[in-house]
Amino acid sequence: MAITTHSLFQLAGALYGLALLAALMPGRRGPLTGFLLALALAANLAVVALRYHQAWPMLPMHLGAMALPLCLGLLLPWAAGGSGTSLEQAVRRILLVLIVLLVGTALCFPRDFYLPFLKSKTLLAHGFLWFGLIGKACFAVSAAWALASLPLFRHAADRQPPAAAMHRCQRWAALGFALWTVSMFTGELWSYLGWGTPVVWEDPALTLTMAAWFFYACQLHLHLTRAWSLRARALYASLGGLVLLALTCLPDFGPFRTPF
Amino acid sequence: MHRSLLVLWRSLGSINLTVGLCLLLTADLVWGYFSLDRRMPLFTPLNDMGLIPWMQTYGSHNLAATGWFFLLLALLTLLAVNTFVCTTNRVVQLLAARSDGRGTGHRRRLALKLAPHIMHYGLIVILAGYLASYLCTQVLTGRTLVPGSHLSLPGTSGQVTLLAFEPEHYRGTRLAFWRNEVITARARLLLDDGTSKQEAMLSCTRPVRFQGYSLHLRDFAPKSLDGMKMKTRIDLYVRKDPGVALYLAGIVLFTLGLALYLYEWIMYREATTE
Repeated sequence: MAITTHSLFQLAGALYGLALLAALMPGRRGPLTGFLLALALAANLAVVALRYHQAWPMLPMHLGAMALPLCLGLLLPWAAGGSGTSLEQAVRRILLVLIVLLVGTALCFPRDFYLPFLKSKTLLAHGFLWFGLIGKACFAVSAAWALASLPLFRHAADRQPPAAAMHRCQRWAALGFALWTVSMFTGELWSYLGWGTPVVWEDPALTLTMAAWFFYACQLHLHLTRAWSLRARALYASLGGLVLLALTCLPDFGPFRTPF
Repeated sequence: MHRSLLVLWRSLGSINLTVGLCLLLTADLVWGYFSLDRRMPLFTPLNDMGLIPWMQTYGSHNLAATGWFFLLLALLTLLAVNTFVCTTNRVVQLLAARSDGRGTGHRRRLALKLAPHIMHYGLIVILAGYLASYLCTQVLTGRTLVPGSHLSLPGTSGQVTLLAFEPEHYRGTRLAFWRNEVITARARLLLDDGTSKQEAMLSCTRPVRFQGYSLHLRDFAPKSLDGMKMKTRIDLYVRKDPGVALYLAGIVLFTLGLALYLYEWIMYREATTE
């Protein structure tokens, strides 16, 4: 079963890569990209379903590395949909690059060999995982919009001002922040019911969860108060967001293994 | 004197201070992650011994690994003060402007405007709850019960007896690694408060509350139908934590504020932008 999961994830990775190539090709390749992305998502969904099948009713350990690309891929039509401006195309490409990087890293540094544990047999544990994953995917979309608003990524012919891109960046950051907060609260409740304390000092990942929360709390305050210039906020949301995304993914990756 | 207090109050409520503190907290927590890696045993006793004894022993003797935590405490304290001052200023302004409008529509808009401040107060209550929890929690460590044995709860007339350990074993084939292992650990307890007795069921994520204490299942034996036969026993975390109610109330408050804020965002801000 483990070989099937790994092979399916390799297939998903290859299809995500092809979808990215189609998106990078000149001309309108939307339908081809969409078709390849749908196939990749189906393969990725099968991987996540198999991992759940092998662990339910407990929580599959370190599922995040495999489920985050799925969440990002499922959000993609909403994240970069619309009228197909060059800005939206840029966001779509950035997100596809992120997905391919995440899948590649998960294949090279797997950590899915841990057995589930009994205390994860509660809906709170599953809520903690999925609210967190969707929240993290929203943060990635927010960072992609901020990155697209920078001069490096903006097409000269694009009439959309960076403020419009930053507005969408903030919208995704606010949604991600709400989901991340709900994930933290469900985690605290789970921790209280299982261990009698809201913070269990057994996993260093909890500090990164809190770090991401403060980072996005800061981003929302910067947006609401307009304390920094638009460009400074775009740099903060894009580069800072990507660094935070990489850091919060770190606990789900293990030692290097050849992916083939 | 009055003027300098006013300046101090304004400085403490500054939004720039909020931004600076959030950035410092982010950096400090990232530092914490790399400090904690492979040094978790230094922090595990924090839950059992409380904050002050931990700071005097593990904390102060391993500053290279625990320095970030001391900084975290200082930054969180400053953030709580900053949040309180900033949000109180704004709430006073909003309530003072309340007399300008009448009607349910106006009251609803006011409630929505208060949403971020409800979140802010929620955060302060959560932090206060954590502090109370780490300062005042009474923990009874190393509590093990075998069938028929009992445990007395200090400061009360309460006694807890383990009547039976009634686990459910996994019999299916889907989880090959879990075959014949305990999939649901259940312990039937007798709770005696001196005047009446009642039974309660304890499981991995279902604690039992009795006489102000909460009992959580830490470990148990036997874990499997196969392998070495071990004597039946359950290990408990027994805690009397005055901070629980506070941080649960904070979570409810924050969630309420968040729901109102998202509602306002979707119904008003996004509608205006569209």
